[in-house]
Amino acid sequence: MARTAGERHGWIGRIFFADLLAGLRLTLGYMMSKTVTHHYPDNEKWVPYQRHRGHHFMNTNDQGEVNCVACGLCSVICPCDCITVIPFETEQGVRRPKVFDIDLARCLYCGLCEDACPADAIKLGQEYEVSTTNRATLTVHLEDLIAAPRKAENGGLVRPAKLEPTGGQHSVLQSGPSSGLDWWSRIRRPR
Amino acid sequence: MEYVLSLLPLAIKMVIVVGILLLLPLPLTWLERKIAAHIQQRPGPMRVGWHGLLQPLADAIKLLTKEDHIPTEADRMLFAVAPVVALVPPFLVFVAIPFGDPVQLFGTTVTLSLADLNVGLLFILAVSGIGVFGTILAGWASNSKYAVLGSLRSIAQMISYEIPMGFSVIGVVMLANSMQLTQIVAAQQGLWNIVLQPIGFFVFFVAGLAEAQRIPFDLPEAEGDLGAGYHTEYSGIRFSLFMLAEYLVLVALAFLNVLLFFGGWLGGPAFLPPFLWLFFKVGLFIWVFMWLRFTFPRYRYDQLMTIGWKVLLPLSLLNILVSGFLML
Ligand code: SF4
Ligand code: SF4
Repeated sequence: MARTAGERHGWIGRIFFADLLAGLRLTLGYMMSKTVTHHYPDNEKWVPYQRHRGHHFMNTNDQGEVNCVACGLCSVICPCDCITVIPFETEQGVRRPKVFDIDLARCLYCGLCEDACPADAIKLGQEYEVSTTNRATLTVHLEDLIAAPRKAENGGLVRPAKLEPTGGQHSVLQSGPSSGLDWWSRIRRPR
Repeated sequence: MEYVLSLLPLAIKMVIVVGILLLLPLPLTWLERKIAAHIQQRPGPMRVGWHGLLQPLADAIKLLTKEDHIPTEADRMLFAVAPVVALVPPFLVFVAIPFGDPVQLFGTTVTLSLADLNVGLLFILAVSGIGVFGTILAGWASNSKYAVLGSLRSIAQMISYEIPMGFSVIGVVMLANSMQLTQIVAAQQGLWNIVLQPIGFFVFFVAGLAEAQRIPFDLPEAEGDLGAGYHTEYSGIRFSLFMLAEYLVLVALAFLNVLLFFGGWLGGPAFLPPFLWLFFKVGLFIWVFMWLRFTFPRYRYDQLMTIGWKVLLPLSLLNILVSGFLML
């Protein structure tokens, strides 16, 4: 068992409350050190890493068509049964989705749909602000998925942002220097 | 007419003091939350006003508009009276606290206190002793286990810590040859009492913490084991009256510490007006109280009693003896 500061200094330590003073010194150090809180959503926003599984997006090819071939694998593997795919055939004879809906209210963001997809179509992106006051808007359609933000280029950064209470996105990134990857180095650890 | 006019300065002073005291808890709650936050490396309230400065106002509005609930089993009259009773002693303490030497204003001499009693110190100790009544009444009237336990604890605590507290200031009184607070401060010209009475200060400080029921001696309202102690059943405006009383006791305690041991409004080099010196020191003490609060855990009940009776009481008696011998 670790000895307290009071015990380490013997009876002198006990009389002058060495352990209490050590505690006070520690908290004083913390009081004077920088805070680690992100000022989200008012001033800062954290951009997640590449591996982050957020709001889905749909990849498109060079012709602007969606990559999805409406095979339905994602819908089958989805543990929450929240993907609806209805296929149709284009004039070029390619199978494409007529309806591609994801019910984000049921999705658990496991990423299995991304793993199952053979056509590099459905992916989980960086967007994590999906709160809304209308539940119906949580069912996203094909065009929403095409427009949704992709995976973050340099994830793990804290970026300047501004709160915008209206619209789907709540805290909007602003241009400006990032406070960097090392926000956690501000955490003060007693030596 | 003459008589009424002579009362005018007193009335003005009263309004100023009461007004400041009623508003003081607002910045103090903000300060307390900020200190708590920074000790835990958080920024604390940030969103209402600049750095959350208006947060206490929002909290006050919330408390005032909340439902004022009285439990069915409670003694309704005592329940309503208790917060007011708790509020009276801290205000009474400020009657006797001087804020500086008399100043010349509009050709008349104005004393910077409501009443500079010649037994000021005794009055303050006596009045703060009644503070326990609010707690007892609140606990009893609530008719709830937690509240009663809290008030029982507070009775035992207040009684056992009042004794060392009273003894610890005797050394100061001996040095000043007076119980008048202005005299006590005047006697510290040149050398502050903290140098001559370190043990007395220590005992007074610790006993004061216990009297104000601050951590590490906040057993009467130990959130962990008693809900919230004697004010468990209180809500809304009545609860805020208890909060007000608590903060005022804290401020009064800081004032007493400064007046008795840290030279009151006597500063070092005189580049600050005396009352600013006083407020600066008081602010420092309030900060220390809050710093202690967020550093220490709560003492166990038997430890509390041991500290009071076996450590502080002998220490304060020893202090009287030693000061007596040294003065002879
Ligand atoms: S992430 Fe998981 S739960 Fe969500 S749609 Fe894909 S497979 Fe279904
Ligand atoms: S998104 Fe991928 S897995 Fe799902 S239907 Fe389209 S191609 Fe198949």
